[in-house]
Amino acid sequence: MGQTKWSEPKVSEDFIRILEPSGVAKGEVPNVAPEELLKWYRSIVRTRAYEDMTIRMQRRGELSVTAQSRGEEAIGVGAMAALQAGDLVYPSYRQFSGHLYWNAPLARAMAGLFGAAPETIVAHLPIDEVDLPKVQFMPYGVILASQVTHAVGSAMADQLQGSTAVTMTFTGEGSTSEGDFHDALNFAGVFKAPCVIIVVNNGWSISVPASRQTGSATFAEKASAYGLPGARVDGNDVLAVYQTVSEAVARARSGEGSTLVECVTYRVVDHNTSDSSEVYRDDEQAAYWRTLDPLDRFTAYLEGQGILTDETKQQEADEAKAFVEAAAELARSVPRSTPETMFEHHLQGEPSWAERVQRAELQAELEGRNPFLADHQPGEGS
Amino acid sequence: MSNTVTTREEMNLITAINSGLRQEMARDPAVIMYGYDIGPIGGVFRVTEGLYDEFGPQRVIDTPLSENGVLGTAVGMAVRGLRPVVEMQFMGFFYNSFGQFVCSVANMYERTGGLCAVPMTIRMTFGGGIKPLLFHSESTETFLAHTPAVRVVCPSSPYQAKGMMAASIRSDDPVVFLEHTKQYRARREPVPTEEYLLSLDKAEIIKPGKDVTVIAWGGMVEQAQLALKNVDADVELIDLRSLAPLDVETILTSVKKTGRCVVVHEARRTLGPGAEISALVHENLLEWLLAPVQRVTAFDVNFPDNQTEDFYLPDAQRIQYGIEKVMNYRY
Ligand SMILES: Cc1ncc(C[n+]2csc(CCOP(=O)(O)OP(=O)(O)O)c2C)c(N)n1
Repeated sequence: MGQTKWSEPKVSEDFIRILEPSGVAKGEVPNVAPEELLKWYRSIVRTRAYEDMTIRMQRRGELSVTAQSRGEEAIGVGAMAALQAGDLVYPSYRQFSGHLYWNAPLARAMAGLFGAAPETIVAHLPIDEVDLPKVQFMPYGVILASQVTHAVGSAMADQLQGSTAVTMTFTGEGSTSEGDFHDALNFAGVFKAPCVIIVVNNGWSISVPASRQTGSATFAEKASAYGLPGARVDGNDVLAVYQTVSEAVARARSGEGSTLVECVTYRVVDHNTSDSSEVYRDDEQAAYWRTLDPLDRFTAYLEGQGILTDETKQQEADEAKAFVEAAAELARSVPRSTPETMFEHHLQGEPSWAERVQRAELQAELEGRNPFLADHQPGEGS
Repeated sequence: MSNTVTTREEMNLITAINSGLRQEMARDPAVIMYGYDIGPIGGVFRVTEGLYDEFGPQRVIDTPLSENGVLGTAVGMAVRGLRPVVEMQFMGFFYNSFGQFVCSVANMYERTGGLCAVPMTIRMTFGGGIKPLLFHSESTETFLAHTPAVRVVCPSSPYQAKGMMAASIRSDDPVVFLEHTKQYRARREPVPTEEYLLSLDKAEIIKPGKDVTVIAWGGMVEQAQLALKNVDADVELIDLRSLAPLDVETILTSVKKTGRCVVVHEARRTLGPGAEISALVHENLLEWLLAPVQRVTAFDVNFPDNQTEDFYLPDAQRIQYGIEKVMNYRY
């Protein structure tokens, strides 16, 4: 194992903050109904319950790899709470709290983690119209930052077609180094796309610190080179995230174009279950950021406001447990994907000769026959 | 190689490549490691482990997260006398730098009339079987080998890997060095601790035989070896090792002898490397063939989800079917 680790300076906390780490609000607090605040709280609690469960499942070998958003959960929900029905989200893989806020079907996500094909999931977990989330979620960008270009194009399409929908996208700070990120910002600036681009600066891109991603002092200031406004916000403060992103959403909806929002947080856990962060960093910064935990902070605030009591807290925790366990059970009820699903959803229309032949080969293999023995004729194979 | 007694150590693919990298860095100060997650972490698969400690941040350079930025700046570095060894974490991410690859890496030498060589090694993990996420199992060697003026090599064993890594770094050509993720820790074998070079353009006959030539590379060599045990034929197994240029002489000599040929690859079938090999054999040896060349490949679909990938990837069983097909073929 290597001996040298990165030593990183403390991240600048020069950003928009409403909730102090103690949970006390400073300055103007956005006007949000207690019920809505409770819903935010619930989304975070459930996200944590869900991700803790998937980590345990990974350890038991039920799924191959998974990532957590622990310590970053205020961003997904705080930002997406600023959206309205009809809007769209192009996420990264750490905004689960926002998915849960909009009631995205958890069991489907879990079945995906189990490695089922999308066709199998959709077929076995059909969703009634009423249960579909009211904002549209696209799959997260596996190719980092590709989702940011898609989001800008998606927003441009809405604009061209006269829709007032707003598109929101998320990307890690590491991914801002990809060309796609810069292309997205450039197009967003030129075309005034109704888009909100959120950089989740959690300090690390697997083993590489944020300081290695940019010579700029902040990620927010990148906006100005593209003619966009940029804001830097405390990503562990759900009220500040909501407030800042709400302004960006309003700007987009009123035709003024895109905004870049940098949400500053910290990846207090490993990158994913394949990672061991102790190899490349000390725990010092992570330990500090654990004291800024977004859930602790929000809990303290809600308790101070009399919105949350020990009793409701317990109730929410119990409900979260039941909620994620029910989803897990549902996900486990999805049968294993059959091998033929791999051929589905490539080209529309009649299958080509090659597809027919190859499907027949797979079928032969499944039946224990030699797939290469058939003598394929020009029109044959199906 | 010197004829003094060679000391050997048990190495797997990872430690063998690491040993080759370390040796070349110690030998030539122009050699640098370049890419993201290669420094203190030593690579997500630990291939560059320890190099940062030993050679420092000027020679093991963690970059911003941009494949295109990495490859493009590496071209400039190579032009100015460095020998960058670029790490692409997964072949699926390399696609982001494809323009630089085709239009610069592969073109600069010719475009400058031979004045500017681009000596770089592009290390890249590839292949399936570890059930990871989307785009972490790609096997699109065709995209690489279809590009002229680059070498594409793919060692299948620790011994090959170390010697071919050294040769890749010393080559004045751009070399893509494919590392199969499932093979990384699959097996260990004794590997010389001293330096040695292996050819970059020679295939290796792993096992001679007279009935049928089986051609494979990377992770498929192991599957082919398993298949040999179950077939009633004397197989000549060729580990291609280089996809560009192809060692056509070795292929044709073998097939001329056996009269039968099976090409195995994890890549998809249509325009996979097997298409080229099959065409070469048919064009050159038609009258020697006792059966048409059989391709044993993955299917023409996107790399499937975890639950179905085992049915997609060729394995010993599928290879056995392929061998049986050509062995039993009657015109
Ligand atoms: C184009 C591309 N390159 C590399 C990767 C591998 N990879 C996955 S996540 C990751 C780090 C991303 O860091 P960041 O953008 O900061 O997001 P975070 O994981 O910290 O949320 C890397 C390198 C990838 N998925 N896509």
